[in-house]
Amino acid sequence: MRRKWLLALVSVLLVALLGWVWLERVALRAFPDIISAYTAKEYCSCRYVMEQPADYCRGYVKQAVPISEFLETVEAKRVTVSGLGRSHSARWVGARQGCRLE
Amino acid sequence: MFKGWFLIPLLLLTLGAHAEDWPGEQWPTGPTPSGAAIEALESYAFAPRDDATRQGIRTDALLVIQDGRLVYERYAGPTSAETPHLTWSISKSLLATVFGVAYGEQLFGLQDPVVRYYPALEKHPDMTLADLFHWASGLDWQEDYEYAPLNSSVVAMLYTRGRRDMAAFAAQHESFGPPGQVFRYSSGDSNLLAAALKTIVGPVRYPDYLWTALFEPLGIRHATWETDASGTFVGSSYAYLTARDLARVGLLMQRDGRWGERQLIPKAWVAFNREPFVHFQAGQDEAVPGGHWWLNRAADPAIHPWPDAPPDTFAALGHWGQALYIIPSAKLVIVRYGDDRDGRYRHNELLKRVMAAFAGQVQR
Repeated sequence: MRRKWLLALVSVLLVALLGWVWLERVALRAFPDIISAYTAKEYCSCRYVMEQPADYCRGYVKQAVPISEFLETVEAKRVTVSGLGRSHSARWVGARQGCRLE
Repeated sequence: MFKGWFLIPLLLLTLGAHAEDWPGEQWPTGPTPSGAAIEALESYAFAPRDDATRQGIRTDALLVIQDGRLVYERYAGPTSAETPHLTWSISKSLLATVFGVAYGEQLFGLQDPVVRYYPALEKHPDMTLADLFHWASGLDWQEDYEYAPLNSSVVAMLYTRGRRDMAAFAAQHESFGPPGQVFRYSSGDSNLLAAALKTIVGPVRYPDYLWTALFEPLGIRHATWETDASGTFVGSSYAYLTARDLARVGLLMQRDGRWGERQLIPKAWVAFNREPFVHFQAGQDEAVPGGHWWLNRAADPAIHPWPDAPPDTFAALGHWGQALYIIPSAKLVIVRYGDDRDGRYRHNELLKRVMAAFAGQVQR
């Protein structure tokens, strides 16, 4: 009897969870992109627009979510960051237009 | 002896012209007051900086202009007088000031429907430019930053789904109500304005317009304003200026849109910026929205977001503690850049201490 109730409860929760995943599917799919895109863009601007030192900028963009890879090509003023299985790059495009995600 | 008399009116005229200070290549300076009030200001703004935990008040720059003269300037952390600092949402108010120049050119009217200049808003034919300036588009926008990233419209706009064309992303949002009725702070509204400006000034002038219309006339030589991949300025977030250059915009606003002899922005436009949005209700935000600037007074006379600052105080405010405050009655312009990662910094506290140090009194 008790087991039956538990099963029912778990089923209801599962259906609710799946429903939520369906409703939020667009946001959930984009979610893992945030950390790498944010880090690449704001690091690029910190380095090449605000012209701050690299070690300062690494601290400036640090968030609770970790990143797995970080590649800066100084000659191209380009930054590529990976995290949560996604990868994004930002590049400095000019003195007036600053940095932009690619 | 009497021969010199005719020179007196000329002398008075010259004195009159010198009575008003403006920055040239550099800001003219005045004496920095010293004493307990300045110490109290610095102990608040420049408390020991915690770079390990990033907690507490972390001021990068503090600059005070009094009646056109630089009377106080201090930097901390990695920021210097040469750093074009990220202004975040101060950009929104700068964008509104750029619009002021176009308003002076009579290129648009505040009650014009936005769809006239930005066709992607075809489902919202009643939305006016004034509604966007009031952050009252009626679009169901979620303005949250790092604390609720999943459903944050602004994070999606800047970094993921919206980043290639931020205005188009904003225009895709459904309405929660009719435009012009309810204040809801939205970076999407600001980027819809940035996109509308492209049509208003024309695609040929648009890429240089921020510089030709505003920065160059003010003598601002190094401003960066990032765009999205569609070429629209990120009007919500991505203007970079030195503290000294941002103060130039402050002085322009303090003096009702006039720069030297030139009325760069119509007085009526600045009046619109400083007119509280009538449907704002207490508690909806930390200050009162005007025309894309923040005010210390509302239609409801009981509302004073910063009780220790004069009621005519107005400001441009940005994420992580960026602020440009203007107090016309005290002839003060204050630039405060920061890197505050918690919510401890208080505008009222800083303004109270600036008033005590530079206006010689604590006004209530």
